[in-house]
Amino acid sequence: MADVTQPRPTEHHDAIEGSACDIGELMSAYLDGELRDGELDRVVAHLADCLECIAEFHDLKEARTAVRMLPMLQVPDRVMPAAHYGPELSAFLDGELTVEEQTMIVSHLQGCTDCLLELQDLDAARTAIRALPGVEPPVPLLPRLPVRSQRTSLRRLAIAAAGFIGAAVIAFNMASSGPEPTSVDLDQFADRHNVRVSVDDGAVVVPALSGRTAP
Amino acid sequence: MAEDRVPTWEDVARRYGRKIYSFAYRLTGNPDDASDLVQEVLLRVRKGLANYTPGSFEGWLWRITRNAFLDDVRKKKRRPTTQLPDDDRAVLGATPSPDEVLASVRLSDDVQAALLKVPMEFRECVVLCDVVGLSYEEISNAIDAPVGTVRSRIHRGRKQLRGLLTWPM
Repeated sequence: MADVTQPRPTEHHDAIEGSACDIGELMSAYLDGELRDGELDRVVAHLADCLECIAEFHDLKEARTAVRMLPMLQVPDRVMPAAHYGPELSAFLDGELTVEEQTMIVSHLQGCTDCLLELQDLDAARTAIRALPGVEPPVPLLPRLPVRSQRTSLRRLAIAAAGFIGAAVIAFNMASSGPEPTSVDLDQFADRHNVRVSVDDGAVVVPALSGRTAP
Repeated sequence: MAEDRVPTWEDVARRYGRKIYSFAYRLTGNPDDASDLVQEVLLRVRKGLANYTPGSFEGWLWRITRNAFLDDVRKKKRRPTTQLPDDDRAVLGATPSPDEVLASVRLSDDVQAALLKVPMEFRECVVLCDVVGLSYEEISNAIDAPVGTVRSRIHRGRKQLRGLLTWPM
């Protein structure tokens, strides 16, 4: 092949041999937006008058278009066997990649079973995690808020009031059972106590408090 | 790719594999040579990444690619093949419709054949510019030549190429 490291002696100059004009290679640089300061005005002014250079400009543009339209080729799989998409697959699932990256991954997945299986695993894991129910934190972990203290105080007050009313009711019933003093038989009291605890709350009526009188 | 981040070897393979392959294929017209070049470049990148300091990654990569290409050509001691590529059908990245594919392949074959007739030093710059998409400055870094030389080679390459393309555009 030609030695590309050695430029030809005649090639590095602005004008092209055989060209009647002196803008030569500036036209390709103009096409590519690579002109230096001051060169743009020179090229534009020249192209306004020179039909020959306008025709050459179109030829250059067509040649450039022809090469640029060549398709980007797919690398044979055997060339890059180890190139897989690991870290990008989760981002791909979550729609966090650029369009270019997504296209590359979709193209890769069509021919790579390893990455396809990994993608399925990641999708299953993501779905499982997202399906987990919400969990209420344990009560002791909650901070003690002023509102809670106030509620506790109110509840204690309610309990105390209920106790007081209950005691008052008992005292009234005992007082209305008669003038005779009540004497307690310890054995009978124990028996009644056993009966009381063996029956559901609310279904028991303690005999001693329901108008039973001492013998 | 961000300039301040050192990519992994896998990043390079995924992001630049197709470009490197296309670069080599358009220069040689030979899929085997192109495959060999991709493997060689990735091998050199893998070794070189350990000592790579963040900077112009593309310049670094294409300098490696171009040197690997020249070494490969020298090693084989033969000129790059000028055979008409007959397997664009197999290596095309996308396949829209049969008619479009066939038209595209015919067009590609014509342009590829014409490219292979352009002297290598011009062809190389044209391919780096129009296939790979490098700026003149990046091409200058890749081939280790002044920007003026790059400009001249691209212009001459295109001019010759247009003369070789006989079909109306």
